[in-house]
Amino acid sequence: MSFLTRTGYSFAKNTILSTSLRSISTTKQLRLKELREHKEGSSLVVEGVTVPSPRTELLIRAVNHQENPHQCKDTCYMCALNLDVKHTDVLILSQFVRTDGCMLPRRITGLCQRQQKKIGKLVTMAQKAGLMINLTPAYCHKDPKKRYGFKKFNTYFDEKTIFMKRIPKPTDRFER
Amino acid sequence: MSAAKRVQQWATFARTWHIFDCKWQDPYQSAEVIKKYLMGLHKPIYHSMNDCGDVVVCINSREIALRGNDWRQRAYFHHTGYPGGATWTLAWEVHNKDPTMIIKKAVYKAMRGNLQRRHTMQRLLIYPGEEIPEDIIQNVSNQIRQLRLVPTRLDHISEEEVKKFPKVMDYPQDYVLK
Ligand SMILES: [Zn+2]
Repeated sequence: MSFLTRTGYSFAKNTILSTSLRSISTTKQLRLKELREHKEGSSLVVEGVTVPSPRTELLIRAVNHQENPHQCKDTCYMCALNLDVKHTDVLILSQFVRTDGCMLPRRITGLCQRQQKKIGKLVTMAQKAGLMINLTPAYCHKDPKKRYGFKKFNTYFDEKTIFMKRIPKPTDRFER
Repeated sequence: MSAAKRVQQWATFARTWHIFDCKWQDPYQSAEVIKKYLMGLHKPIYHSMNDCGDVVVCINSREIALRGNDWRQRAYFHHTGYPGGATWTLAWEVHNKDPTMIIKKAVYKAMRGNLQRRHTMQRLLIYPGEEIPEDIIQNVSNQIRQLRLVPTRLDHISEEEVKKFPKVMDYPQDYVLK
């Protein structure tokens, strides 16, 4: 029953909110896509063009890192690189966000669960500190000093607090 | 006493003026450093009965940075002395009212509470901005090193440099660029 309702719901949603972006494709997708709009006479043409990724040439990987997940099971590329990323390293953190400053999901970043959580929190810290103010939604004023209340003052963060829950307190002798 | 020794004597007991830039600095951590210069703890001739403390000029105190959610969680207590006269003011409200007060209270709290503390505090000069009176900047001869690196905002880095920076993450093959 739930399957039927879900199918019906998704069908109705697809018919009402039909967009040019579909998750299902009939052809094999090979490269990065870019949506281009141009007018031909009176008709608007929207086409998806495959483009080579601008990042491929600058990409840095660890020496012992394999792309195939079967060869090294638990290691993602961030774990293999073993970088000490701080929340002030905006040049690294800005690679993991959209243009509106939202963290990309794990299926796109390709990180392991722990690194995705860590990078996500670091992005939040950088945004709260106002260090990536150009990567914010359009309604943002783009100036950290114009923010409301306590948010307009400078804030820094301690990276040790990210996985604080897993560190046992010194009083918890038996959990150590 | 020879002339060289006499100059050394003057230099030993002279008050040095230090400058400290509070931009993006934690006031409670930097208070521990400022305190040493104010009390003269960094000098070999230090003694608690010896008046050998230096003068510290703090600039940019409006730009201090507090850790985490300290701006809205740290409260400053004041009591007027009358019944019901207790007030708790949040750190960001204090900083709105007087941008020099947080660093002043932090340094005051970092020192041991004796009567000398009030006189030592007179040697701490705090300015909310970068502008200092001319007669004060003339005396300054040393700069105290900042404890934290001042972070760079992404929009202050040139676009070319952002593009050239080595990349860690690459988009998957079917990602739609926006
Ligand atoms: Zn990993």
